[in-house]
Amino acid sequence: MLNLIQDTIVHTQPESLGAAVEKAGHAHGQTDWSVAAIVALPLLACVLTGLCAALRVKSKLPAWITVASLAGAFALTLKTFAAHFMGAESHPFVVHVFDWVTFSWAADAHAQGPQTNELAANFAFYLDSLSALWMLFVTGLATLIALYASEYMSHDQGAGYCRFFAAFSLFVFSMACLVMADNLLLLYLGWEGVGLCSYLLIGYFYKKPSAVAAAKKAFIINRIGDLFLAMGVMLIFVQFGTVEYSVLFEKARPYIELARAGQFSQIPFLVKLIPCLLMGGAFGKSAQLPLYVWLPDAMEGPTPVSALIHAATMVTAGVFLIARTYPLFLLSEIALPVVAWVGALTALLSATIGMAQFDIKRIMAYSTVSQLGYMFCGLAVLSPSGGVFHVVTHAFFKALLFLCCGAVMHGFAGQLDLRKLSGVMKVPGWRIVGFGMLIGCLNLAGFPLTAGYFSKDMILAEAFVTPGTAVIGWILLITAGLTAYYTFRVFFRVFVGPVAYELGDEHHGADHGHDDGHGHGDAHGHAQAKGHADAHGHGGTHHEPHAPGWAINTVLATLAVLSLAATGLYFVGGDHGAVAGLVDQSSAGFHSPLAHHGAAEGAPAHEAGHAVVSYVPEFVHARAHGGEVHAGTIFGADPHKAMYFISAGVGAVGIFVAFWLHLAGRKSAATSRADALLPALGPIPGWAQGKWYVDEFYDFLVRKPLWVLSHIFYLIDSYLVDGLVDFIGAAPRAAGKVIRPSQSGELHGYALGMAGGLVILIVIVALVAT
Amino acid sequence: MLLMAAILIPLVSAVLIAAAPEARAKTIALLGTLAQLVIACYAATVFDWSFSSRAQLGMSVAWFEGLGVSLSLGADGVSLVLILLTGLLGPICVLASSTAITTRIRTYYAWLLVLQAAMAGVFAARDVILFYICFEFTLIPMFILISLWGSTNRRKAAIKFFLFTFTGSVVALAGLVYVTWFNATLDRGAVPQVILSQNELLGTWTFDVSTLITAGQMMSASEQAWVLLALMAGFAVKVPLFPVHTWLPLAHTEAPTAGSVILAGVLLKLGTYAIYRFALPMVPEAVALYAPHLSMLCVVGIIYGGLICWVQTDVKKLVAYSSVAHLGFCMLGMFALNNTGITGSILYMVNHGLSTGALFLLIGMIYERYHTRDMNQLGGLAAKMPVWATFMVFFTMASVGLPGLNGFVSEFLCLLGAFQASSSWGSGAWGSDIEPVAAATPGALGPWFAMIAGTGMIIAAMYLLYMVGKVVWGPLKTPHGHAGGHAGHESSGADDHPAPLPTDLSGREIVTLMPLAVLCLVLGVYPKPLMNAIQGSVDQTVAVVREPLRTHAVTGAPAKPAPASPANTHGEGAQ
Repeated sequence: MLNLIQDTIVHTQPESLGAAVEKAGHAHGQTDWSVAAIVALPLLACVLTGLCAALRVKSKLPAWITVASLAGAFALTLKTFAAHFMGAESHPFVVHVFDWVTFSWAADAHAQGPQTNELAANFAFYLDSLSALWMLFVTGLATLIALYASEYMSHDQGAGYCRFFAAFSLFVFSMACLVMADNLLLLYLGWEGVGLCSYLLIGYFYKKPSAVAAAKKAFIINRIGDLFLAMGVMLIFVQFGTVEYSVLFEKARPYIELARAGQFSQIPFLVKLIPCLLMGGAFGKSAQLPLYVWLPDAMEGPTPVSALIHAATMVTAGVFLIARTYPLFLLSEIALPVVAWVGALTALLSATIGMAQFDIKRIMAYSTVSQLGYMFCGLAVLSPSGGVFHVVTHAFFKALLFLCCGAVMHGFAGQLDLRKLSGVMKVPGWRIVGFGMLIGCLNLAGFPLTAGYFSKDMILAEAFVTPGTAVIGWILLITAGLTAYYTFRVFFRVFVGPVAYELGDEHHGADHGHDDGHGHGDAHGHAQAKGHADAHGHGGTHHEPHAPGWAINTVLATLAVLSLAATGLYFVGGDHGAVAGLVDQSSAGFHSPLAHHGAAEGAPAHEAGHAVVSYVPEFVHARAHGGEVHAGTIFGADPHKAMYFISAGVGAVGIFVAFWLHLAGRKSAATSRADALLPALGPIPGWAQGKWYVDEFYDFLVRKPLWVLSHIFYLIDSYLVDGLVDFIGAAPRAAGKVIRPSQSGELHGYALGMAGGLVILIVIVALVAT
Repeated sequence: MLLMAAILIPLVSAVLIAAAPEARAKTIALLGTLAQLVIACYAATVFDWSFSSRAQLGMSVAWFEGLGVSLSLGADGVSLVLILLTGLLGPICVLASSTAITTRIRTYYAWLLVLQAAMAGVFAARDVILFYICFEFTLIPMFILISLWGSTNRRKAAIKFFLFTFTGSVVALAGLVYVTWFNATLDRGAVPQVILSQNELLGTWTFDVSTLITAGQMMSASEQAWVLLALMAGFAVKVPLFPVHTWLPLAHTEAPTAGSVILAGVLLKLGTYAIYRFALPMVPEAVALYAPHLSMLCVVGIIYGGLICWVQTDVKKLVAYSSVAHLGFCMLGMFALNNTGITGSILYMVNHGLSTGALFLLIGMIYERYHTRDMNQLGGLAAKMPVWATFMVFFTMASVGLPGLNGFVSEFLCLLGAFQASSSWGSGAWGSDIEPVAAATPGALGPWFAMIAGTGMIIAAMYLLYMVGKVVWGPLKTPHGHAGGHAGHESSGADDHPAPLPTDLSGREIVTLMPLAVLCLVLGVYPKPLMNAIQGSVDQTVAVVREPLRTHAVTGAPAKPAPASPANTHGEGAQ
């Protein structure tokens, strides 16, 4: 079925963007099945686990199938990576599997331009250093988290277990399509595919109305972003006649030349519009303002899902999209500044919400939103390598944090309220979880010498270096302090301090609601029953938390080590570490498209005093001509060096405040010094705890009016059906009685029908007008 | 001969059913529809796909020679694809009815088969009168199916359905007859030799479709506009386009399951097919001129229909209204008048038939078990019927337009078609005057149409997930008296089931759904064969429409009559 061709991309010119593709076809004689298998293996796992469901398998078989397939995919990714992208210079290549939406037609004879048009969107995979890097951590983390889930989900062995792993595998398949796609339509397939899996897995506990609502919300809000992405893809197709990256980058070259020459005014408006549409999709998938509201609710899903999909991989798809189409973002003066502002404001806003929450999983969710804001800022302040490095480090430490929270939730019967848990680390059997949590928290808080510290610094420093983005830098710096505070608030409240806890049960846990009779809390009781012969049933009958088993502990330990080891990525490889080296060679790098350009001509003088919106042209132009952008400073020092100390200081202050308020002198789980401080802040903590009422605002502004409008439409429609058309039915008969020999009764009816339609139209026009 | 067989076999089976004992009716119906499907498949293998724009497998027998009516059949790629769809849904409908229909079994299956024959006839007809007879003849079986086996409001629904569509198509017939008359009075001497040599029947009294299409193109712009209005009067009701859609929700809701499946799967496509077959090539100037207005109706239908779905409590009505929104996409692609849009539109016809047909089947299965379609009484069925729930989520996603399933390909192409179809591209209006815009096509729709219609994608997610959230997910909720494991057992209703239905789907029900599910997946992942099958026909249609479209787009006014067309002088002379 598959006609597998490895297409090799030949670098004809060093500065060629996206590189000229020469489809070598069979010339190289070698078909790279292994790349296709990276995508196919998770799909196979999905099919097999689906079969397990059909055959009513009750064992852990689905989990092992999934773990094995994903491990296979990871191994193949590693092999591909080692073979193609380890060197100093790598070449992207395309693996064509089979045609998907592909057809051609003759162009308008009168049009200038090509005589045939083709829409070519195939199942073909584009591998460059960026997609290979992304696939490495996606498949690696997915394998680990699947292993974790094999234990975590064991209470549900049977149909639910199969369903979970089928959706899980399908997610990895979709993510692989998204990342490795060689065209935007296949990316869109992956994009919506991960959305579907997210929907299915958030709604995993489908008997809980809150889970169903959260799943629906996630899908619909993502669809809003998807519409912008789809429009962006269409605009790209109409403008450039292709949706394939390699051709697209080649076709975009004239505009990039213009950008290099500093002639931004010559670039057509429509080309500048493209990144603005694409970023809409990115904001939806990556939960940025104004579309972030779905992600915190998505925590209704099982924790492994929160860790993999809603922290480490899927939500970084927006970052990937911008990194992938980075050259297009450099063509517009406003695209990257908008991304920067959205990222910075999202980071700040969600950090303030995270500070005031009590559900530890929700806190982690808000921190994810906040950190995603950092990643966007990284891209937008012209440090794509910083942004991508933060994606990688965040993937590890945030997955670790979620899995630790999940272990707590699993062991304490669904308890997630930090006021009801304390000193967990001192409970026998919980040491690994505690240490894992500590490592994760240190990373998130940006503690010196952790991976999270270096990746965050790259973004912060660059924000001060790039002219015009210092404000962004300050916002991010403040957010870094808040992050350190809320991160260690969780750690100091839950994991250290006096040992005191309350297990969750069905009458408990209004915050997270795992109390449904069939939900996790109950099902947990069954898992409990296995470990403790006496314990059967729910919360009330057992009083001991049960410590995590080998699978969970192994995964936590591995992730903790990996989170620490990620620091090493900063020190190997080039200037800013291995990740920066990989990013530079990809479409997100400045070096492939824009550097090495004839530096002979001097850069023409720029008007000084460009507002924030114009830093992109200045930068692109300067880079193109080998010049240095006039670098900004922080307190008169070089941000790259000073930021090491400044951010460490900010982080330390945050951690210390958390220590003072939440650990020092704390006697019980429920109260701390912070309680005394709260009244002084007036209603603000309450507002933050209420998430600044953004959900309510949207409901009032969008959902309610739409709902009313829908009812009005329905009334109009039913009135017509029940009233007017009945009249039509009666009219011919009446007419027939009056004019005996007439056969035109139906025609009368028709005329009335048309009149009825017209009435609707007028009513609607009137409605719209008023 | 094959096409004739595809029409005759269901008819013969219908006669056999009427003659055979009641107990055999179901078997004969199944065999008859299967035979039709086999013939359609065989026709597809015999068909020469490299000339898919030509009508093939044809036959022509003089019928009423004096009137110029002939029994002329033939199929191009598009027709054949839709005949295949009709053939596929036949056996599925028979299987789906086996426990639902317990009264007057013979009558039911006989009419179902007559309906199958009539629908195949519409797609295969190459004679306008034959087309019209088949087109109208679909009304009678459907009217009977609704009014005898429908639910509570069936009388009203059946009458509305009949009146609405019948009155519309009478006007359409008038339009077609006008073109016939125009052709008959055409002065052959004024027609270029090239055209004459290809259409010997020009200037004679004939109902031959391709001749009338050629003749139609020679009409003046105003004549074309009137003919378009007449055609749309008949066909837009059938589609249905907003605002003449109001018969659809009621008919869908009240029809028996198989009726709804055929209604959504094929009957609505009679309208879209007729627009594609007649309106586009016959009156291209008028279509090019009025495409933006018609597209506006499509866009309104997409949003209006979608929002109404969102506030339904009757699950079947929800799916029924969703057809209004979906067919809006389909027609929007058609009126984009470019390859992308029309290809998408034709794929949409097939895909909507598969996914919406399957949704009606699934709802029918629930109705058989619980005798309600009220979403306030039904809920959380995933707990009780996991297999049903799996299918339900699958087909909902196909309907939402999830990439990887069939709905996406067609929906995306329809929107892309509308997006491309703007003559403002490259003219500087959108700022693209530096480089030629690569893939723009002439037209008057453009990005705004696509963007506004695209909100329909969000609305579709809203109402379909609302439906799934209520019926499939959530706490289990079943109507009173159905709490037991075997819902099908209850015997209080008037219609006792001969065999109780299992809690979850039976093997028969899975067999009815499986082919649709497989096709949804295959056409989503590998739509290429289908796209190739229709490409020739689409290319030809686009070529006809393109010239007037370009002229309109540039001048923004009706095109001056083409110099090659002697129609004007002729038309006036004939008055």
